Amino acid sequence: MNTVPSALLLILVPLLPLLLVFPALRSRFSRPCYIALLPALILLAVPQAVSIDLPWLLMGSGLGIDDGAGRLLLAMSVLLWAVAASLLHSVNGKPVDDRLTSCFLLTLAGNLGAILATDLVGFFTFSSLMGYGFYALLIAGGGAETRRAARVYLVCLIVADLALFEALLIAAATARDLDFEAVRQAMAQSASPGLYLSMVLAGFALKAGIWPLHFWLPLAFRSFPPAVALLLGAVPVAIALLGFVRWLPLGEVRLPALGLIIQAMGAAAMFYAILAAAKRAQPIRLPACAAIFASGLFTTFLGVGLGDPVAWNRHGNVAYFLIVFLGSGVAVLVIITGWRRARGHYPTMSGKPVDDSPPWFERWSGALTRWAAQVGGLSRLCAAWRAKVGGLRQIRAWQRALHGSERFLQRWAYAITLFLLLGIVVVFAGASSWI
Amino acid sequence: MSWDSALPLFVLASSLLPGLVIFFLPEERVAIRTTLNLAGAVLKLALVGVMIWGVFHGSHYETRLPLLPGLDLLLRADSLSMLFVVLSSVLWLVTTVYAVGYLEGSPNRSRFFGFFSLCVTATIGVALAGNLVTFLLFYELLTLATYPLIVHRGTDEARRAGRTYLIYTIAGGALLLIGTAWLYTLSGTLAFTARGFLSGLDESHNGVLVVIFVLLIAGLGVKAALIPLHGWLPQAMVAAAPVSALLHAVAVVKAGAFGIVRVVYDVYGLQFSASLGVTLPLAIVAAVTIIYGSMRALFQDDLKRRLAFSTVSQVAYIVLGITIVGPLAAVGGLVHLVHQGVMKITLFFCAGNLAETLGIHNVSEMNGVGRRMPWTMVAFTVAAFGMIGTPPLAGFVSKWYLGLGALDGGQGWVIFVLAGSSLLNAAYFLPILYAAWFKAPPDAWLAERSFGGRETAWALLAPPLVTAFLTLALGLLASAPFSPLQWARFITRLEYTP
Amino acid sequence: MSYVPDIHWGVMVIVLPLAGAVCCFLWPRRAVPLGLVTALGIVACVAGLGWQVVEQGAQRYAVGGWGAPLGIDLYADGLSLLMLMVAAVAGLGISVYSCGYFHRPDAKRDKAKHFWPLWMFLWAALNALFLSADIFNLYVTLELLGLAAVALVALAGGADALTGAMRYLLVSLLGSLFYLLGVALLYHGFGSVDITLLAERVEPSPVVWAAMGLMVTGLLLKTALFPLHFWLPSAHASAPAPVSALLSALVVKASFYILLRLWLEIFPFANAALAQLLGLLGAAAVLWGGFQALFQARLKMLIAYSTVAQLGYLFLAFPLANVIGWTGALYMLLSHAVAKTAMFMAAGNILYFGGHDRIVDLDRVVQRLPLTITAFALAGVSIMGLPPSGGFIAKWLLLEAAIRAAQWWWGGILILGGLLSAAWVFKVVGYAFTQSEVPHETRTVPASMEWTALVMAVVAILLGLFAPWPLALLEIGSPFGRENAG
Repeated sequence: MNTVPSALLLILVPLLPLLLVFPALRSRFSRPCYIALLPALILLAVPQAVSIDLPWLLMGSGLGIDDGAGRLLLAMSVLLWAVAASLLHSVNGKPVDDRLTSCFLLTLAGNLGAILATDLVGFFTFSSLMGYGFYALLIAGGGAETRRAARVYLVCLIVADLALFEALLIAAATARDLDFEAVRQAMAQSASPGLYLSMVLAGFALKAGIWPLHFWLPLAFRSFPPAVALLLGAVPVAIALLGFVRWLPLGEVRLPALGLIIQAMGAAAMFYAILAAAKRAQPIRLPACAAIFASGLFTTFLGVGLGDPVAWNRHGNVAYFLIVFLGSGVAVLVIITGWRRARGHYPTMSGKPVDDSPPWFERWSGALTRWAAQVGGLSRLCAAWRAKVGGLRQIRAWQRALHGSERFLQRWAYAITLFLLLGIVVVFAGASSWI
Repeated sequence: MSWDSALPLFVLASSLLPGLVIFFLPEERVAIRTTLNLAGAVLKLALVGVMIWGVFHGSHYETRLPLLPGLDLLLRADSLSMLFVVLSSVLWLVTTVYAVGYLEGSPNRSRFFGFFSLCVTATIGVALAGNLVTFLLFYELLTLATYPLIVHRGTDEARRAGRTYLIYTIAGGALLLIGTAWLYTLSGTLAFTARGFLSGLDESHNGVLVVIFVLLIAGLGVKAALIPLHGWLPQAMVAAAPVSALLHAVAVVKAGAFGIVRVVYDVYGLQFSASLGVTLPLAIVAAVTIIYGSMRALFQDDLKRRLAFSTVSQVAYIVLGITIVGPLAAVGGLVHLVHQGVMKITLFFCAGNLAETLGIHNVSEMNGVGRRMPWTMVAFTVAAFGMIGTPPLAGFVSKWYLGLGALDGGQGWVIFVLAGSSLLNAAYFLPILYAAWFKAPPDAWLAERSFGGRETAWALLAPPLVTAFLTLALGLLASAPFSPLQWARFITRLEYTP
Repeated sequence: MSYVPDIHWGVMVIVLPLAGAVCCFLWPRRAVPLGLVTALGIVACVAGLGWQVVEQGAQRYAVGGWGAPLGIDLYADGLSLLMLMVAAVAGLGISVYSCGYFHRPDAKRDKAKHFWPLWMFLWAALNALFLSADIFNLYVTLELLGLAAVALVALAGGADALTGAMRYLLVSLLGSLFYLLGVALLYHGFGSVDITLLAERVEPSPVVWAAMGLMVTGLLLKTALFPLHFWLPSAHASAPAPVSALLSALVVKASFYILLRLWLEIFPFANAALAQLLGLLGAAAVLWGGFQALFQARLKMLIAYSTVAQLGYLFLAFPLANVIGWTGALYMLLSHAVAKTAMFMAAGNILYFGGHDRIVDLDRVVQRLPLTITAFALAGVSIMGLPPSGGFIAKWLLLEAAIRAAQWWWGGILILGGLLSAAWVFKVVGYAFTQSEVPHETRTVPASMEWTALVMAVVAILLGLFAPWPLALLEIGSPFGRENAG
């Protein structure tokens, strides 16, 4: 296969869904979500590795797909998106809301693009596109509780993006070329990779909802429409985990201490997931627990990789399989629980009032606003009022003084006196300078 | 007078002459006025295109008129000025279209468009000024040309805003005048020179030079809305939307920021000002401004006020970029000059559309507005994400270079300022987007005007869409030839290569 | 070599307005065309003289063939030429404006009848003053100028104008008297009234101190330097608009010119204390006039007080005592003359249009006079000293001089004064933008009045763009030559 069509195909994979986001452009197609997946499907059929450099894009970006693991990931994503698309269409038996479709396609573009990205900036761009798209998908598709979860997710997303941006800057300052491979090598040789590593770890942990940064995950699974919940594993979590693999200098550095900590955290996460699953005993939460468990497993593996580069080089590809397993496993679980719920196996939680109050992190700003309005506003108002009145009084006083003295100057007696005085002063001043 | 020496004059005249003619047009000659406006804007764009091509290929366009013995009125097209000239002339064209649509049927339009053209002329003059005194001249002209635009509506509020604006800017201009004159007596020249013309002075003058630097920056900082000189900007937002757009994106605020760039680069020289120890305090002021502006924006309910405080914060990026001594940060600062303009003008256009079509002025009234005016809100969303610095939009590119420059220059604290600002940006923009897209619209809008099947008039809708597209394109195609980023790199190469 | 006929342009400049005055007096019905033709003739003569001076350097004429020390000498160097040009430009504008002002449909005929001869006479006195080469001639012309000016102020009629005129007359006489005493002392001491001869002969002595004290004080009174400005606002504000314009623009400048000549030629030994005193008074005038202007309730009073402030700027050059400073002060004089003419004309238009000049009620008026308010605003730009305008160039030069002389505080005064004038200019201009619903009874303003004001204001702006020409004129005959050397 020659390069031009394959390059075009690569670009089309994220571009076509992006174009279809606009309702005007997709109105001719009956099933735009499937059409959006077509280029990716064709790309999967192309047997060899393809890649393309886009030097004029952003800071010089690229897209590409290798032969092995990346292809597997792409295949998993395409499959899940196709399933989700079918659910999207068949949920209510009627064509879905335009906005929902737009958000769906936006997220899809981000997801596929992130898998294909060959450099940090491209990955970052697509993953944040995916993140915001997914947020919109949650909001547009869900009820009150979902919105709450979505808001938590959004905050995690913003903080994570900030952390990753810092990491990106550090990488750019160190490596100059932002290819995954180049960054990996440069960071391995860097004198102080600590900040970079911690930023990457924190950022993607937030995005993936890894314990202990998992606030939004359980919330999210509770009440999503199945089409969205299905994607939870494959979209934010899987891409974030992929981010770990792509961004960290795995197999190049040897950081036993850090590796150990991460392993411990992974183990704790798995423990937590099991505990939570056992304690709550609500099968509807099972997918969430499973996701936390699986990401814990992945974390443990990551810790091993960081501590022992040799092991990583030998078994590194397992990571991709783990991601695929996680993504598809969560999806299967969601489908099963959804199906069982639909069959009435679990009582719905209708009795419980839905909590639509804003989450805690939004409350503080509201409280702060109110407080500022009360304290700052009031005192500022008082001060302004007082200053205004005082200022007015002062201006009046000045005006009066000026008028008075001007009248004083205009009286002949004073004017003549001043005039003569000035004459005397002038004579003396002139004289004194000559003497 | 040859073509090379007349071209800067032509560029100025292409907005000045239409403006002067428009002043004398009767109110009801709408067609002639619009034609004149648009013809001037297009002509200017064409001339600027010729100019930028020439500058890139090494031509020197320079107009010199004697102002005083030994002091010329100098208009010169160098690479830095071209950055600003292109921004102004492109956005002028867009804003003119918008203003024509916005002011349809309102009184005193001839006066408005006359001053509008004068304002752009002054901005172009600021950009093309080849020495400090020419800069000062157009800088003050800008003050005078903007005042009528701010008070155009003639309400008490507008007059108050105009008064505040004048108090600030005229005082600032006075400081600038003192600084300039003082500098002239010391150095005997004021011509902008790459890497400055002051480093050769005797070392005993250094103390005085610091004082002059403070004077100049204080004078320019008024327009650039640096803390604590920003008080006029939030008030000035009472002006009509096209004016706010122009004020915040191109004319006034940018003239101040551009002036600071000129002073630091072409008067003092970056290395010399760093050796004087003035860049770090300025960077700190800029950083404080960034954070403070965002904090204030968070608590505003009036949409335009929120955007105004956002401008306070965003413009300081430019200052921050050039005061972090290093080529990468400089690229970030310079490119933000363009990017901020494009993004902020989009936001103001959209705010104007909301006010004009639905009567919405406050954030709290924006629930569900995305369903009524989807295209406007798409533009708004793109620009807002650009402001936050989300890739691949324009704001990301500037932030990227700023951050990279800070690391490069060994000033890591800047990264945290950037991060904090992004966070705050998200905190005051995302609730707007959430309300607009996902909350249920009210039963009836405050003051809805009908435009047939469309969401609003074409002249109001096209400009924000164009600038939103630019926001996307500037970020996405940042590395393409002739992008602002490449041009900023071109400028910094000149500044940094010995 | 020269394309201009070789006649005594200097003499013509004085004779022509005199002849015009006589003609206007004899044929009052033809006063307008006669006056205009004379004005144009004067402008042409000044141009001719300018050509001559530029081509051949400073000129000296012995009128009637009698040389110094007895005869009447006329002397034209760059400084005189500049003053003549100021008078010509402002005078032409005032003449055109007066055509509209005094010949409106409802104006009283007798005012016009008196105005034209008096104005031509005043112009003649002014030109003669600028060309005089001896201090006694200066006295005579100063006296004539004062009398003509007083008569013009009284032209307005009404109690205000008469009180103002009376006060002005007394001040004028007092000032001239002091000056005359000084002249007598000098003549007694050195046996000559010719400036050049005196400059060679004068040596410090008690007589010279006394003479200088008397002359300087008298001239300060006539120049209305703070605190001796008490007569100026009422006189300038109560006069008819063209008269206010010519008083502010030209008449007060005449006494300043004399002071400058004396200072530079006869008393050149740098008397630092006195110079500082004058500078101090100038600074006080700038601030005092600025504040008073800000708080005035009537437009013409406001402009009159601004004249007080602007005159203060001229005295800031004395302590600086360098060429740039003198140039700046003279450029200030030039641009102030033009700008203030425009401003008083605009005020006259407003007063005529709305029948009042109360500032708080201006909104009903100025919106319907766009040309006039534009003229006011443009003139205001020059008065504020914002670029591009003559006022800016002047301020720049003064500022530069202050910094070069290491007396930066005078620069601070300049800036403060500029801010004060900006405050009152925008206080007035702001009314152009308010919405006013109250209808108002108005009279139409003749187009010539509006356009003259605008043209004068535009000239004030253009002075900022073409500064090198007037500045080059000032170099001729190097009036500041000795200062330069010192």
